[in-house]
Amino acid sequence: MDQPASLAIDCLSHGFGTKPVLHDVQLRILRGQIVALVGPSGCGKSTLLRAIVGTHLPRQGTVTVFSGNSHLTGHVVEGPGRDRGIVYQHYSLFPFLTAVENVAFGLMLDQTNISYRLFKFPRWLKRRAEHLKQAREFLDRVGLGSAASLYPSEMSGGMCQRVAVAQALIMKPALLLLDEPFGALDEAMREELQRMLLGLYQENLAARRKGELEPHTMFIVTHELNEALYVGDRVVGLSQYWDWRQAGHAQPPGATVVYDCSAPIFEPDDTRDFSCFAGQREEIRDVVFNPDSAYPREKHLRYWQELEQQREAEPAP
Amino acid sequence: MIGEPIARVWHVTLGIGAVLLLLIAYTILSMRQHRENPDDKTIPSWSQLSEGVKKSVEVNQRSNERWVVADAQATSLRLFWGVFWGVSGSLLIGMLMGCFAFVEAFLYPPLAFLAKIPPIALLAVFFVLAGTGETMYVTMIAFGVLPTLAQTVYLAVKEVPAELRYKAYTLGASHLEIIWNVLLRHVLPKLIDAIRLQIGPAMVYLIAAEMVVGDVGFGYRIRLQFKLLNMSVVYPYIVVLGAFGFGIDYALRKLQAFVSPWYAKGY
Ligand SMILES: Nc1ncnc2c1ncn2[C@@H]1O[C@H](COP(=O)(O)OP(=O)(O)OP(=O)(O)O)[C@@H](O)[C@H]1O
Ligand SMILES: [Mg+2]
Repeated sequence: MDQPASLAIDCLSHGFGTKPVLHDVQLRILRGQIVALVGPSGCGKSTLLRAIVGTHLPRQGTVTVFSGNSHLTGHVVEGPGRDRGIVYQHYSLFPFLTAVENVAFGLMLDQTNISYRLFKFPRWLKRRAEHLKQAREFLDRVGLGSAASLYPSEMSGGMCQRVAVAQALIMKPALLLLDEPFGALDEAMREELQRMLLGLYQENLAARRKGELEPHTMFIVTHELNEALYVGDRVVGLSQYWDWRQAGHAQPPGATVVYDCSAPIFEPDDTRDFSCFAGQREEIRDVVFNPDSAYPREKHLRYWQELEQQREAEPAP
Repeated sequence: MIGEPIARVWHVTLGIGAVLLLLIAYTILSMRQHRENPDDKTIPSWSQLSEGVKKSVEVNQRSNERWVVADAQATSLRLFWGVFWGVSGSLLIGMLMGCFAFVEAFLYPPLAFLAKIPPIALLAVFFVLAGTGETMYVTMIAFGVLPTLAQTVYLAVKEVPAELRYKAYTLGASHLEIIWNVLLRHVLPKLIDAIRLQIGPAMVYLIAAEMVVGDVGFGYRIRLQFKLLNMSVVYPYIVVLGAFGFGIDYALRKLQAFVSPWYAKGY
C-alpha cells in the first residue's frame, strides 16, 4: 500500500527584516515516517517548525497538513491547530498542572469548552474522570505511571519531556513536531527517550502490516547526527551552505533543503551500533555542516529514488 | 553556624519567650509609671486595661452596640469591598493589557503614573468626588490598590512563555481558554502574593480615612479614645488590629496554597 502524505511544504521562504533565513523549501513527509531535521545552528530549523505549527507564518509558500481518522484531507496551515502536536525543548509542560493533568489537558481543551465545564459541572466531572484515566494509560506507555501526581517542578528534565510527548500523543496528531526535545538531557536519559520514539515507530510498522493508517508521524529537529540517524527513518538536512551563486543569486538567499536520504531503521532493543552509518554521517557533515561546501542543492536529495528502489525490491503482496 | 536550622522546640520556646518578655517589660514600665502617678492613663495597668477591654466588648449604654464588634464589622466590610473591587478591576485591566498590545500601549502610561501617587495624598480628592459615606472608603481602597495589582497581573501575563500559549492552541484551546485555563492559572498565585503585600497599604488608607471622617470603625475609635486619653481602650484596639491583619494574611496564604498548590513547590 502506498503511504499517503502527512505534510507538504511548497516554495516556503522566510526572513527577518532584510535577512533571509529560509529559501524555497520543498518537503513532503509521508504518514508514519520519523523524519529527522539537521542543520547548522541558526540555519532556520526552529523557524521552519514554527511555520508548520502555524505560530509564525512564512512570508512565501504554503504548508499543507493532511489529517483525518481514516481518510486524510489536506488543509493549508493558517495558525496553530489540534492536528499538529509540538514538543519544545523548554517550557514543554504547564507548571500549574500535575503530570497526569498535563496529559489530560488536551482532551479537556479539545472535547469541552468553558461553559460546559462551568454549567454542566456534574457531567464534566464524569467526563474528567474518563480523561484522567486515559491520561494515566498514556503516562504508563511512556513509563511514568508512578509520577502521575507530580508537578513539573518536581520532575527531572527527562521525565518532563516524556510527559510532554504523552501530552502531544494523546491528541493523536497527524504530525508530531519536536524541536530539539532531548537537547538538555544527559546521555542516558537521551538514550531512553530515543528508544521510546523507536517503540512508537514499531507501532507504525505493526499498523502498516495490518493495512491500517500509521498512528505516528514525527518531524524531529536535532543537532546530534547520531540521534538523527538512529531515531529517524529519513534524514533531511537544511543548510545555508549550497551553490547559490550558480543558481543565480548575488546574495546568500538563505537555507534550503540540501540533503534528503533514508536512514537505517533500528528496533528499540537493537544494540546502538553507530559505526554502521559512519559513512553517511561523514557525508552529512560535508554536505550540510561544512561552510565551504557548495554542492548544487538537488545533488543529495536521494530519498524518493531510494523509496522507489525499495518498493521495487519488495516482493509484491 | 550561619544559616543553620534549629529544632522545632527551640522555635516555639523562643517565640513564646519573646511575647512573655514583651509583656513583662510592659508590666514593669506601667508599674513604675503608676508609682509616680497613680492616676496615669498613658501606660495603663493591667486592671485598667481589663476595664478598657470590658468597655470595648460590652454593650454600650449610649450606642446600644458592642464597640469592637461594630468597628470590626465596619472596617472589615470596607476593606473587603475595597479590595474586592480593586482586585476585580486590576484583573480585568491587567489581563487586557497583557493580552492586547493596543490596551497595553493605551493604559500603561497612566497606570505607571498612578501607581506612584500615594493614595493618602488623594484622600482629599476622594472626599470631594465620592463624599464621605461608605462608597468613599471602598473607592479609595479600590483605587489605592488597583495600579499596583494591575501591574502585577500585567507583568505576570507577560511572563508566561509564548511556548505555553502555542502549545495550548495545538491542544485545541480557544482564545478564551488560553486566558482562563492558562494565563489566569499562572497569574493567580502572584496576584495573591501582591494582595498580601497590598493589604498593609490598604489598611493605612482606610484607618487614616476613618480617623478623619469616620463615625464607626477601628480608625475612628482609636482616634476618639486617644483624644479622651483612654489608652486602656487604644492599646487593646491596636492588638486587635494586628491580629486582624495577621488573620487576613494567614487566610490569603491558605487560599494561595489551595488554588495554586504548584506555586509553593517552587516552579
Ligand atoms: N524573532 C526573530 N527575529 C529576528 N531574527 C530571528 C528571529 N527568530 C530567529 N531569527 C533568526 O533566524 C535565524 C534562524 O533561527 P532559528 O531559531 O530558526 O535557527 P535554528 O536552526 O533553530 O538554530 P538552533 O539550532 O540554534 O536552534 C537565526 O539567524 C536567527 O537569528
Ligand atoms: Mg532551534
